[in-house]
Amino acid sequence: MANSDLKNQIRRLRFEHGEMTQEQLADKVGVTRQTIIAIEAGKYAPSLPLAFRIARTFNVPIEQVFQYEDG
Amino acid sequence: MNRAQKISLTIVITFSLGLFFGIILIVMRLFDVGIPKIAFLFPVFIAGSGGIISLIFLGKDKGAIKHDERDKLIEKNAHLAGFGAVYLFVILVSFLPIGILGEKASIPVTWCPGLLIGAGFCQAYAQSIAILIQYGRGGERGKQ
Repeated sequence: MANSDLKNQIRRLRFEHGEMTQEQLADKVGVTRQTIIAIEAGKYAPSLPLAFRIARTFNVPIEQVFQYEDG
Repeated sequence: MNRAQKISLTIVITFSLGLFFGIILIVMRLFDVGIPKIAFLFPVFIAGSGGIISLIFLGKDKGAIKHDERDKLIEKNAHLAGFGAVYLFVILVSFLPIGILGEKASIPVTWCPGLLIGAGFCQAYAQSIAILIQYGRGGERGKQ
């Protein structure tokens, strides 16, 4: 489940969007707060639909939220 | 900590206690301390109480969303771990008696239902441990 190659900017984006809490983001994308915590910490790689929902919540392309570091 | 974690933790604690007391009773019996057979129900009762405690005392999770894709994945992996544990248990109980009791020994057929109970406990124990490991520690950290 953990994916150290997948970096994310969720924490930064949350703060740039009116200091959105993990709970608020979780409710918007339809997951539990524990899952948001795990994604932010890089302990869980979200499914593609969830990744898109997170990106849409922040109104940014998915590449700005998640970056895959090859190798 | 969500409900699944609380249930798993309760089961792991009660099963471990049951296992501990069970081993103590078996060892005492081996040394002929004079324990009645009914005493062996005590560790079984302790182990079984985990499920009952979970059902009575652990309420539903707070929040609008109680279950998501990560929970489903963890559940699936935990079921696989439970299945693997049962498989291992069946292999062990199939071959260990031959090694311990010898090829010509015989066992009472009343032991057979015990294998089913053992497999059930094994499955629940492995599944609970798998759930706790996968959720990991610090699930509630980083609140912002």
